[in-house]
Amino acid sequence: MSTTTKTASSQPTVELTDLDLQQLAEIKKQLEEELSHLTNSFAQLKQAQNKFQACIVSVDAVKSGNADAEKVIVDVGTGYYVEKSTDDAIKFFTDKVEYVKKNLESLQQTITTKQNNLRATLDVMQMKISLGSAAAGASAPK
Amino acid sequence: MSLETRLETVTQEFQKIQKDLSNAIEARQRLDSQLQENEIVQKEFNLLKDDANIYKLIGPVLVKQEKTEAVSNVAKRLEYIRSEIKRVEAQLQDYTQKSESKKTEVIKIQTEYQTKLQQQKQTVVTPNK
Repeated sequence: MSTTTKTASSQPTVELTDLDLQQLAEIKKQLEEELSHLTNSFAQLKQAQNKFQACIVSVDAVKSGNADAEKVIVDVGTGYYVEKSTDDAIKFFTDKVEYVKKNLESLQQTITTKQNNLRATLDVMQMKISLGSAAAGASAPK
Repeated sequence: MSLETRLETVTQEFQKIQKDLSNAIEARQRLDSQLQENEIVQKEFNLLKDDANIYKLIGPVLVKQEKTEAVSNVAKRLEYIRSEIKRVEAQLQDYTQKSESKKTEVIKIQTEYQTKLQQQKQTVVTPNK
C-alpha cells in the first residue's frame, strides 16, 4: 500500500491482517463511532472559536465607539463574571481563540490518524473478502 | 434451568452491566469537562488583581463577590469534582471487570448452546440440506 499507515505505534501491535473479518468489522464500527464523536467535537470547538471571535469584534466596537464604556463585564465561565478594561477583555478573548485553535489542531491530528486507521481497516477487509470468500466462509462461525 | 433461559438471563445481565458502564463513562466525561471549566476559571482568577470586580450569576442577578470568596468557592468545587472523579473511576474499574467476566460467561453458554444445537442437528438427519 502506498499510504503511510503508521497504525498506533504505542499500542501493542496486532497486525490487521491477522484478524478475521468479524473482528475487523468490530474495529471498523468502533473507529466510525470514534470518528463521528471527534468530528462532532471539532464542529463544536469551531463554533466556540467563532463565538470568541465575535466577542472580540463586539468589545472592539465598544472600545472605538462609545467613550462612556471603558469597562466591560466578561463571562469567564461557571457563572462567574469579571469586570475588565476593553483592552484586557480583547486580550482575554484573543487568548481564548488561541487556546481553542490549539485544541482544534490537535483534534484535527487525531481525526486524521483515525481516518487513516479506518482506511487501513477497510483495505484489509476488502482484501480479505476478495481473497477467498470460500476460505473465509469455512472459518466464519455465522 | 434450560440452556436457553440461562443464556437469556446472562445476556440480560451483561446488557445491564454494559448500560451501567456507559453511564459511568458519561459521568466521567461530564466531570472532566467540569474540571476543565473550573480550572480555567481558577487560572483566570489567579491573573486578576485582588481588587478586581468579580460577579457571580445567581439566578438572573449578577452579585458582586469578593475575590477571596470567589477563589475559595472555585477551589472547593475543584476539590469536590476531583473526589467525584476518583469515585467514578473506581466505579468504572468495577464495571469493566464485571463486564469482562460476564462476557466470558455469555460466550461460554453460547458455545454450549451451539454445541447442543449441532448435536441435535446431527441426531435428526434431515434429508435435504
